[in-house]
Amino acid sequence: MSEVRCVSGVELLMDYLEGVLSAEMHAALDEHVAGCEKCAAFVASYCETPRILRDATASTLPADVEASLKNFLRTRTTAFGRN
Amino acid sequence: MIVPTVQPTDEALAARAAAGDDSAFETIVRRYQGRIYRLACRLTSDTDAPDVLQETFLQVYRHLPSFRGESQFGTWLYRIASNAALMHRRARMRRATSSLETFLPRFDNQGMHVATPAELQVAARADELLDRQLLAKKAREAIARLPDLYREAFVLRDLEEMSTTDVARMLGVEPATVRQRVHRARLMVRGFLSSLVEVKS
Repeated sequence: MSEVRCVSGVELLMDYLEGVLSAEMHAALDEHVAGCEKCAAFVASYCETPRILRDATASTLPADVEASLKNFLRTRTTAFGRN
Repeated sequence: MIVPTVQPTDEALAARAAAGDDSAFETIVRRYQGRIYRLACRLTSDTDAPDVLQETFLQVYRHLPSFRGESQFGTWLYRIASNAALMHRRARMRRATSSLETFLPRFDNQGMHVATPAELQVAARADELLDRQLLAKKAREAIARLPDLYREAFVLRDLEEMSTTDVARMLGVEPATVRQRVHRARLMVRGFLSSLVEVKS
């Protein structure tokens, strides 16, 4: 069984989560994280990061931007010609 | 009785639009404008996103006849939008901002985490602990401060939730490269979030 330290565990974390590690490495990481409070805490925050950023940047299209797009395409293409 | 309407597929609309059917193009625009705007905000800024949006759909209109259906239509459209965003960033010659490298995790000479478990975990609660508007501002700042290569992979994979395989195909790199870029971006952004939230021990 390969020995895993925090630093190598962090390096392999994405591959681990995407399931592309060998079964042996996957098990070695499981074992390390199960016995390492710091890595367990790190993994929790690593996994939440995409969701937090996704929610924080989920902008919706403003009506004026939508209207500008339509006007722009009307002048540059033959689409949106009818009102 | 309500008869469910069957929405035409993107590919069917693309074929009609390529043959000159403007109403099919308009449907494509309505179907994707919100998603492309959000992507443009993430890859550039709220200020630049309207221009990127316009440029993207103009390119789509012009290049629809060359869409061969080798990739999914959505992926093809995202590629056009990403390129438009990249061109916009370059044209604007953004002022150099300090890198997020300093927010990477630190290890001692035994290869163990330096920070405490509480410090390591706190980024997971950034959205509970920070004011929503401040977090939205800081999230944009974090994305803007990522190196270009990492930003694109991170936005497409983690924020737009495309599969690693689709991002790899879109960027013309191996899936392993996408994983490596997304991973580095996650590490930096995670550390940046941590720095925004104080840990009370």
